[in-house]
Amino acid sequence: MKNFIATLSLMLAFSPVLAENIYINGDVESRCSIVQDTAGRWGNPSANVLTTLPASGGQVPVIRYDYSLANAYYASISTPISFSSSPSLSDSTVFTGVVSVTQTSSSDMSGYQAASTTPAANTRQYGLTIAGTTWFSATSIATHGGGNNTPFPSGAYTGIVVASCIAM
Amino acid sequence: MNRFALLLLLVTTSSYAHQMSPAYPKLGLTHIAGVKKVEMQIFNSREDVEFYEIGVFDVNWKPIDFVSLYRIIKIDYLSTIKFDVYITDADVLNAEYLCSRSKLRSDKNNQAMIATRICSRFK
Repeated sequence: MKNFIATLSLMLAFSPVLAENIYINGDVESRCSIVQDTAGRWGNPSANVLTTLPASGGQVPVIRYDYSLANAYYASISTPISFSSSPSLSDSTVFTGVVSVTQTSSSDMSGYQAASTTPAANTRQYGLTIAGTTWFSATSIATHGGGNNTPFPSGAYTGIVVASCIAM
Repeated sequence: MNRFALLLLLVTTSSYAHQMSPAYPKLGLTHIAGVKKVEMQIFNSREDVEFYEIGVFDVNWKPIDFVSLYRIIKIDYLSTIKFDVYITDADVLNAEYLCSRSKLRSDKNNQAMIATRICSRFK
């Protein structure tokens, strides 16, 4: 028994130390993800009007922004100022658009709308100062013919809402 | 219940996202004198988008010349693509933003479609 203990002690004394420090490294990257939450659709409540308002048969597009760091990005959303595709139009079309915050992941974001700016007539820009998630809606109305109320020709109409996430 | 609602939200809406990183890229050296390079990556989880266009802009959003393998990159659904952007030293000081923008197909009636654009800013 004594021999066994002595042998075991020698083995332990001369065995190499195999422990290593294993490090886990990682970086937190500032990220912005833009999600098309709800696709938009124009309703046609009267012959010369296309609108995304639900009361007129349309659907307001909703865009979700997920961003992991505060004060890293601007959200900039532009409503259409022309059709990207449409039938040939004989008269002018006037576009109006409204962008607004519809939902937030934090009540601290409640000041986003009041603090937003309009760098262009059809564009609203928000400073994303609180990390989290914010939903924006972009209402668009197209009126054809000015004072003449000229009807839109039948066919398919497409407009583009541009949702940008711009690093500060 | 809240966790279930969050999971449901992620499952139901994550199929239409566009993401680009890094947010603040740094231009590095290349093997070509007078040219700087930055490596970017785009993740496409927009099922309705296959192509993204790359652009480099100055502080006033005027386009800056750059070279990349493709200006319009095909990115399959739920795929990540890494790509390099090369800018000459002459343009490096003016380059402020590097943006990717989704390219949309207009094949549906009466749509207000959503184009997504993410812009990183050079450090």
